Amino acid sequence: MTDIQAIRERMAVNLGTISGLRTAENVPDIVNPPVAVVSLEQIAFDGAFNQGLTTLEFTIFVVVSRADERTAQRKLNQYVAPTGAFSIKSAVESDRRLNNLVADLRVRSVTNIGSLQLDDQEYMAAEFAAAVYV
Amino acid sequence: MAKYVVTSQKVTVNGTDVSDACARAELVLNAAEVETTDFGSAGWTEVVGGLKSGQLTLDFHSDFGAGGVSELLQDLVGTIGTFVVIANGTAASATTPEYTTTALINSFTPVAGAVGDLATFSVTFPTTGEVSYGTA
Repeated sequence: MTDIQAIRERMAVNLGTISGLRTAENVPDIVNPPVAVVSLEQIAFDGAFNQGLTTLEFTIFVVVSRADERTAQRKLNQYVAPTGAFSIKSAVESDRRLNNLVADLRVRSVTNIGSLQLDDQEYMAAEFAAAVYV
Repeated sequence: MAKYVVTSQKVTVNGTDVSDACARAELVLNAAEVETTDFGSAGWTEVVGGLKSGQLTLDFHSDFGAGGVSELLQDLVGTIGTFVVIANGTAASATTPEYTTTALINSFTPVAGAVGDLATFSVTFPTTGEVSYGTA
């Protein structure tokens, strides 16, 4: 059985290896930056016969405080980098099988890098697209 | 009888169920065209059916894990394998016929795919001998 909640939690565990980054496997009501939020966007069924392959498309929202714009931009630059200790892609792909929950995963891209307004607060944010194959 | 969407065809190779690694199956049956045109054909060509043949095409997701389809096929190149394909189901019935054939495993692509793609490969095998089908 595909345990979607367990997959989200394991992705959050991988993200949690980034020092100082809070993680949320579910979309929270209140944002407490810097935080990475795992959100399930869509599921493609029947990639193989007998439901042999299901593709889950996740968006990982990364939100940082914009209290100091330069600091916020530098922090975001580290998160969107393809490699490095603060790289979201590297952290998520550090265990591509998510403790044997899935067949494979890949962080495809990062988009919408820039300002984000939530509850009258300005943040810096980025959206990572990740495909998980089950 | 009803039209159907392909979701659950069953494919086995030498008795091993590889359905959950298979994304497409196509079994084509052919009969050779044997020309019988003569002076009595009134300006038209005439043909009759000759020898029958078949071709099985399968698209797989690569998997080198223990018991995975890649591991299975790489050791079978050059051999005759037994293939069973059940259309639209996991058990043979009147509406989900089961086709059984032997085929020459004459090719295998162990490595394929571009960066970022899901690793897949496609094979096409010529059948050898009869292609039979059952409904039970």
